[in-house]
Amino acid sequence: MTQENLPGAAPSLARLVQELNRLPGIGPKSAQRLAYFIIRLPDEEAYALADAVTSVKQNIVYCEECQNLTDASPCPVCSDPRRDRSMLCVVEEPLDVLAMERTRSYRGLYHVLHGVISPINGIGPDQLKLKELFARLSHPELTELVVATNPTLEGEATAMYIRRHQGRDDLRVTHLARGLPVGGSLEYSDETTLTRAFQGRQEI
Amino acid sequence: MAPPRTYRCEAIILSYSPFGEADLLVTMFTRDQGKVRAVGKGARRSTSRLVGHLEPLTVVRMSMAHGRSIDIISQAEVVESFASLKEDLTAITKGIYLAELVDGFGAEASANPELFQLMIDTLRAVQADPASDLPLRAFEFHLLQVSGLRPELYHCVECRQELEPDAHRFSPNVGGTLCLECAPDDAHLRPLSLRALKVLRLFDRSSIAEACKLSVDDSLAEELKSLLLTTVGYWLGKEIRSNSFLERLHKESLPEVYI
Repeated sequence: MTQENLPGAAPSLARLVQELNRLPGIGPKSAQRLAYFIIRLPDEEAYALADAVTSVKQNIVYCEECQNLTDASPCPVCSDPRRDRSMLCVVEEPLDVLAMERTRSYRGLYHVLHGVISPINGIGPDQLKLKELFARLSHPELTELVVATNPTLEGEATAMYIRRHQGRDDLRVTHLARGLPVGGSLEYSDETTLTRAFQGRQEI
Repeated sequence: MAPPRTYRCEAIILSYSPFGEADLLVTMFTRDQGKVRAVGKGARRSTSRLVGHLEPLTVVRMSMAHGRSIDIISQAEVVESFASLKEDLTAITKGIYLAELVDGFGAEASANPELFQLMIDTLRAVQADPASDLPLRAFEFHLLQVSGLRPELYHCVECRQELEPDAHRFSPNVGGTLCLECAPDDAHLRPLSLRALKVLRLFDRSSIAEACKLSVDDSLAEELKSLLLTTVGYWLGKEIRSNSFLERLHKESLPEVYI
């Protein structure tokens, strides 16, 4: 959207609308609503928003170890001496690390791929942080690789690719259990999920 | 009378992408309505009733509701999941390749039940033999056929003379095979061996399952791949993106040669 599309608006306002319109899920009308909301914000709140955007672009880098987004490399997880270095958990996105950390049940290290192999979108192994992953696998302390990609077709394809190319015979390669979610229902489960759930049944 | 708000359909899921907070925008190919895009509300939540039923390369029976701008998936039930195909990386990639082509050739609001059945038959053939490329080649030929783009294999497309059993030439641009006497100025013109012509004619009169029983050597397989990929790519008018990963897997599976 340019100023021609927003006749009568001040150039600086038109520019803000244009920039907000770039955000995913924000159409022209939403961009205008957000822009007017920002204009009406108290000065300090609007500057805090601008500062947060500037700061995140200036400070966020990829962790040299796990490739997660961090303020300082190596990230707090990779530089924590209490983490279990025998386990490495591979996830698709930085948000997956936050989800895993919320469980407080995993104390190993992570590796963030920043996507999955998606042939239909032209995303192959070279567009992901796979080279960096394979370089980490030679570490002698590492005994288990947990591939925690999503249980989707592309997540499974990525997991298979990693297993095929990991290159160590003595490395245990696992993936997260498949089955029924808490709060789910047998009636509406698909056959693959139910089959996996049955295969992974546990004593109670 | 207003049209009914809901309808049922049988579809093959081709792909999906995240949509909104927890929804999925699903692209599918239905038996009766051709290509359809619809939203699975909340389908990204692990407890959604739709989760697991909307994975690509799955045949699904659906209940849909007409929305203002896009239809909504209200129920989905798996009919055929191709579970063993999804345990093999090469087979998955071949399945995604088929899905990309059906997405490219299939039209919205235009039923093509032959294309629907063709994709199911080919997925079954890939599942039965993930290492063979013949299902893909037979699919490519039949895809042209059910899309109204079947190449001419019996007469020269220029002079209309019946083709002698000999090596000929082929061009997607003029619609098929040319005899050696006819020489149009065509950048897409390429040689066509007699063996390849015979395989194409066999594809023309066989089902996918029958075509996959054929045995072809490496050089013939390469000629067929190059010819059919070029032809399909010509009509599609854009790059077939999943093919580059498929090629990569193919190269990785070849034994290393030490000189």
